[in-house]
Amino acid sequence: MSQNLYFLRERERMACFDRASPALKETLLKIYRDNKPTELDQRLFEFGAVEYHMQSSVSDPHYVHLSISTPLLSQEASVAQGISQGTVQTIKGILSDIVELVEPSREGYQLTLRLDFSKIPQGKDSSKIITEIASIQAAILSCQLKEMLSNVASQDTSPGMYKLIKLLYHPREPFFVVRQPEKTIAVFPMRFQENTDVIIATAFFQELMDVGSSEAWAKVPLCTWSPIPPPELRGEQMEDLSTNGGFVSFDILPHHVKGKRLDKTVWNLLNFYAFVKYHVKCTRGFIQRRMRKRLDNLVKILHKASSEEGGYVDDAQVAGCGCIKSLVSVSKTNTLRRRCRNFTKKVKRMRCPIKIHGFRRFRRRWLTVPKFSSAFKYTKID
Amino acid sequence: MCLQNFPCQEVERHNKPEVELKTSPELLLKPILICRNEAEKCLIETSINSLRISLKVKQADELENILTKKFLRFLSMRAEAFQVLRRKPVQGYDISFLITNYHCEEMQKHKLIDFIVQFMEDIDKEISELKMSVNTRGRLVAAEFLKQFI
Repeated sequence: MSQNLYFLRERERMACFDRASPALKETLLKIYRDNKPTELDQRLFEFGAVEYHMQSSVSDPHYVHLSISTPLLSQEASVAQGISQGTVQTIKGILSDIVELVEPSREGYQLTLRLDFSKIPQGKDSSKIITEIASIQAAILSCQLKEMLSNVASQDTSPGMYKLIKLLYHPREPFFVVRQPEKTIAVFPMRFQENTDVIIATAFFQELMDVGSSEAWAKVPLCTWSPIPPPELRGEQMEDLSTNGGFVSFDILPHHVKGKRLDKTVWNLLNFYAFVKYHVKCTRGFIQRRMRKRLDNLVKILHKASSEEGGYVDDAQVAGCGCIKSLVSVSKTNTLRRRCRNFTKKVKRMRCPIKIHGFRRFRRRWLTVPKFSSAFKYTKID
Repeated sequence: MCLQNFPCQEVERHNKPEVELKTSPELLLKPILICRNEAEKCLIETSINSLRISLKVKQADELENILTKKFLRFLSMRAEAFQVLRRKPVQGYDISFLITNYHCEEMQKHKLIDFIVQFMEDIDKEISELKMSVNTRGRLVAAEFLKQFI
């Protein structure tokens, strides 16, 4: 029962990878809640390459300028065009009465927004709106992938559409999108630092394939895992094809990117790496917890063997096994007596490792310190 | 498990487990090897003052292999909690116990044997359960991931 609850809690936690940047959200909420004009010039960095710059001045108390610099998904696109018009239009559409796009953007940033805090309504909605503002970087990235995937839906079959695109959401974790006339394939080369992670992840990929191929999940993109690169990646650089966790591919069909499902598909693909790594991390933690629990049980059995009465467990010997300590209750007198006996035994063993026949009698006769009688006590004279 | 206190015959004031040092062959008994198959076996080496039990646990696939290694390493690193557990297993085995005459004096022999037997049973059970749990978790998480597409 408790295990099921644990799974459910895990599932809930895993189901929500926040789109909003937690640091940005916290800072914006703080500015909003302070409700007094402050001079602010703050920079925030995320994932090493995402940068936010917030500025507000006392002279202009209602406005906060937020500039964003983010590495674009596709390297080719970032050099040639910067943020596409589609992305700009989407951002303009987000909370248009509160957020205003400043053109040209601040130097060194791709986007500068002017946030009008006076227009944010009071109450619970304020937090919701600020969360939406804090998720603009995710929106920029999503828009780029959306544009690529929506080409599948439009059945665009121009010659350039068969090209393989390398996308970079997190540095060192590139993935590929292969556009074909009838579908788009997203290929994730999986790399892990440790062998344990590889095995846990491989077990997960097998399950993902099994679950995905069942009839109940016919509506979701088909998932395949292979230890060798899929044929679509033929000709790519060696460093991109050398993995220890194999390659996971998702076949995105036009109906997966229709309407509201486009957003979900894009977000899931962008977060696939994070999802797998989170699962691996949680599984490792789970294994560790199980092992700790089992260790406690085993130690308990062994310490039963060391007890003469059968129910006694020495506290000192089970130090570090918290569960056992709490389970066993022994009277203090017994514990002290037992400890004293053990200590004497150990001292005896340390002092005379070799047993010599008749030595004990010799020691008693010649080596014992004489007992001096008390002045107040009566001593019998022989 | 008829162990008795027996000092080293070669070095004065030394009282070490003979099964480890193997200084005098007359103090050693013939080791017993119990094999279920090549992957699962138990070696019992006996001497006058000590006994060494080594286990090799079955590892059917990579996941079982990694779980067994992880678990047994975890136990070995906490050997002080067990007293009878060896920090390093005998070569070719996954885990080893060293029982000396002192352990037999301190603990009840039959319970010590019970512990070893239960340990062997528990290890197999634990590895199988862990494997099942990891796969179940994987299945649940996979379903959760795919659910997000709908």
